[in-house]
Amino acid sequence: MRSLSTLASLACSLALLAYPRAFRARFGREMRADFHRALCEGRGPGTPTALTVLRAAARLASTGLAEHGSALRRWPLFPNHPPHLYHPHGRRAMFWETLRSDIGHALALARKRPAVTGLAVLALALGIGANSAIFTVVNGVLLQPLPYRQATDLVMVWSSNTREQKPVNVVSPANFLDYRDGVTDLADLEAFASFIVSEQLQTDEGPERVLMVNAGPRVFDILGRAALVGRTFAAGDTDVVVLSHGYWQRRFGGDAGILGRALIIGDRPRTVIGVMPDDFVFPYATMLGPDGFTTRTGVDLWLPWVPEGDPFANRGGQIVRNVHYLAIVGRLKPGVTREALESRLAGVAGQLAQAYPSSNDGWGAVVVPLHEQAVGQVRPALLLLLAGVGVVLLMACVNVAGLALAQSVGRQRELAVRAALGAGRGRLLRLLITESVLLALAGAAVALLVVQWGVRALIVLAPSTIPRLAEVEPDTSVLAVTMAVAVVSGIGIGLVPAFTASRPDLRDALQDGGRGAAGGSPVGRRLRAGLVVGEVALAVMLCAGTFLLLRSFTALLTVNPGFSPEGLLTMQVELPDRLTTAEARLAYYDELFERLRALPGVVAAGGTTRLPLGSTSVSTTIDVEGRPRPDAELPEVQFRRAVDDYFRAMQMPVVRGRSFTREDGPASPPVAVVNEAMAARLFPGENPLGRRVRTGPNPSRNQWTTIVGVVGDVRHTGLEQVPAPEMYIPHRQGPPVAPFLVVRTTGNPAELVERLRADARAFDRALALFDVRTMLDVRSASVAPRRFVLLLVSVFGGLALLLAGVGVYGVMALVVGERTREMGVRLALGAEPRAVLWMVLGQAARLAAIGIALGVAAAWLLSPLLASQLFEVRPADPVTFTAAPIVLLAAAALAAFIPARRAMRVDPLVALRVD
Amino acid sequence: MDRFRAESFIPLTPLAFDILLALAEGEQHGYRILQDVNARSGNAAPLHAGTLYRALARLLEQALIEELAERPAEDDERRRYYQLTERGIAVARAEARRLAAQIATAEARHLLRAPA
Repeated sequence: MRSLSTLASLACSLALLAYPRAFRARFGREMRADFHRALCEGRGPGTPTALTVLRAAARLASTGLAEHGSALRRWPLFPNHPPHLYHPHGRRAMFWETLRSDIGHALALARKRPAVTGLAVLALALGIGANSAIFTVVNGVLLQPLPYRQATDLVMVWSSNTREQKPVNVVSPANFLDYRDGVTDLADLEAFASFIVSEQLQTDEGPERVLMVNAGPRVFDILGRAALVGRTFAAGDTDVVVLSHGYWQRRFGGDAGILGRALIIGDRPRTVIGVMPDDFVFPYATMLGPDGFTTRTGVDLWLPWVPEGDPFANRGGQIVRNVHYLAIVGRLKPGVTREALESRLAGVAGQLAQAYPSSNDGWGAVVVPLHEQAVGQVRPALLLLLAGVGVVLLMACVNVAGLALAQSVGRQRELAVRAALGAGRGRLLRLLITESVLLALAGAAVALLVVQWGVRALIVLAPSTIPRLAEVEPDTSVLAVTMAVAVVSGIGIGLVPAFTASRPDLRDALQDGGRGAAGGSPVGRRLRAGLVVGEVALAVMLCAGTFLLLRSFTALLTVNPGFSPEGLLTMQVELPDRLTTAEARLAYYDELFERLRALPGVVAAGGTTRLPLGSTSVSTTIDVEGRPRPDAELPEVQFRRAVDDYFRAMQMPVVRGRSFTREDGPASPPVAVVNEAMAARLFPGENPLGRRVRTGPNPSRNQWTTIVGVVGDVRHTGLEQVPAPEMYIPHRQGPPVAPFLVVRTTGNPAELVERLRADARAFDRALALFDVRTMLDVRSASVAPRRFVLLLVSVFGGLALLLAGVGVYGVMALVVGERTREMGVRLALGAEPRAVLWMVLGQAARLAAIGIALGVAAAWLLSPLLASQLFEVRPADPVTFTAAPIVLLAAAALAAFIPARRAMRVDPLVALRVD
Repeated sequence: MDRFRAESFIPLTPLAFDILLALAEGEQHGYRILQDVNARSGNAAPLHAGTLYRALARLLEQALIEELAERPAEDDERRRYYQLTERGIAVARAEARRLAAQIATAEARHLLRAPA
């Protein structure tokens, strides 16, 4: 009987082990007592036997296992069943109480270690803040809907001609009308001029330049925006104007009485009928066609456009079909897809090609979502920046995790005591995660304080070619993302030390507090080394990216633009309106250039209608004598006028033939100079000199022009763009009204600006002079988007390098601290201090080498994603993939040098006296 | 504290109702509850300690029963005593009403015969 009781007690103990620990702690004693009593009272027939005891124990154990399941189900986050799960107070109260106590504990810990805490918060604030700032820009530019009603239904329609390599091209007026009428059941289409024009507005204080766009009357309805004051265009409106909010405020002080006022724009009075709201922007620069007349964005006014009233579109009562200059915006009808509209338009375009082969053969139509059109171009660059800044945050987290790991090594004893008092692994995990989330939230709070400032700085730095920058503003989604990033970072950071710390070796830690603090488990050290390897790998990736962009940028700046940008001053002028005839303008130009050349230091002056790198482009079709082709198949060349001594002022070499002279006047036979690209394209293997060409959409109406010279190619639209065929005509055979002037000086062109302005005022007050910039500034502005991306990625790369260095320093300092005694022994036994130094450096180099190998592999795989941002540099650039590892290795060595030197200087006596 | 609705606990598991019934007579310790339940079921399917304490844990958590802070004076065993809470009484009543209604229906449809 006695043996049976022992068996029962043993079996019961074993069975109870099947229960969750907390359950056992709460009910175990009673269960044990009940188990025994039930056996003694001998339920069932006969006296208890060993078999019935075992059977009862097995039943008890199986119930215990079931309890595990239900505990798991009720609280899946903490599978080890904290004691409060079975506490009468219920677990909800316990949850908050635990949280409160954890937070209190974390705050007390932070107060005890202000430096470490401050460093961690700072690192996280930097990482999170940089992310929030970049995300704010991405949010404002890419994610927020355009300021139109149901902007997802809006599209743009372009014509396309794959044969002439014009996948996206502006549309001719007659084609627009046919497109519009062919798809009325699928979409509402309306046209607007694909360029912003500048006109003179007559005010009481004299003429003033305004920027405006001609838009079809339905444009505002299609965009779904009404006027803030007054109304937008209605059918049949002609001499009316709608003001932008900005211009209304600036020019008229927001005067509500502006409605009905007549403004004299150009030479015609137009009645103000409305003012658009503040947030209304149309068009974004990216919505204009490839051949706009200005690179400016932001419009002061909108004028109604109707093909019948447009002298460009309407020639002798015919709406023209072969002059392309319109952009089309449209709203899809409900349920209609972009593809459906595109396939219908393809049908319409096909019919037009059959009906009008001379102008429409080869032309199709493409439909682009408006959002894609507006911001699609900047998406890769912005996403690249977001990825870069994400890597920086990841590295900041890794660093803070490293710090936390170092701390948790020191806290081994505290955690061991907690574990000994019954805290499960989950409980410790929760404590550590609460601490790191608190850290991250503090970082986020600091970040939010500066994010506003950071976004301002980004907007100032960003090139104005990024659309929608004005709409960028931190909002609630930025706040939400910041908080989410902080919480995720905090959890990630907390998980790392929890890995090792939540299962501390109790006996070890409790036995010898000193060792716990100085030593740290091998697992922790290995984990820390792993973190550093990861950091180095991430830094290699960012550095490689930075190098690739940097090499692209320098390659771009060394591109010869075809002219000499140094010592050049550029400006745009607008001749006074009183000069209505060509003769008057020519006389004016002669006098103007006389004065320009008389300025001190000026060696040559000239002008053109399209400034390279600083303006858009315009083209013409060309008909070569002796090569009759249908009008629609005429080749296209870029078309400019050369004013006065343009080629010499730009230092564009005359390769063959001659430049223009004074003799190429209005009465002489028309002449032209072409660039090498045009000579090569149109006259391959032939002498272009003396050949005759005619220009324009209807060349037969124009005179033959003789090619008299060939000049060097110029990079016009951008340094990375291959020069296109270009043709110049002399200004004496067609004087422009608003050319760009270029003035070559021997000195610094910027110093000439004031003198030049004063001289221009003295010459003629009515001469409008604007956009005075040195050519170097113009070139610099043309690469601004690349510079912006490069600048930010470099900053990220630098931060990554710094963080990796700090990481290497941290782990090596730890290693040296741990091995102080060993170093002392080595030195005492006669080791060279230098050897100790190299030993530490070598260890750091091994860590760095693993990280570098991983980073190079990752960068190799990821670098093709950068391709859109590269110029004349392959993603697998050998220079980059040599330089980035070297830089990282150097940074790691530098970071390891400080602890290594400390190791070298260990005093054997002191080191051996540690215990 | 969220609003308490006795109906949201209905129906109870037979075991939970059995425990509430056992405690309806006054506070009890675990083993007495076990005995009471087994006696009423005629030891048909004897309850064992594991099942009982699992059910007690759930009822404690739902605050249908509570542990007595003090033990009855005559008790010298170190036992915990449990009693019904206000909620527990309300839920037991609701469950009893539900069962009574079912019994009434069963009678009306001649499913219950008086034992012969």
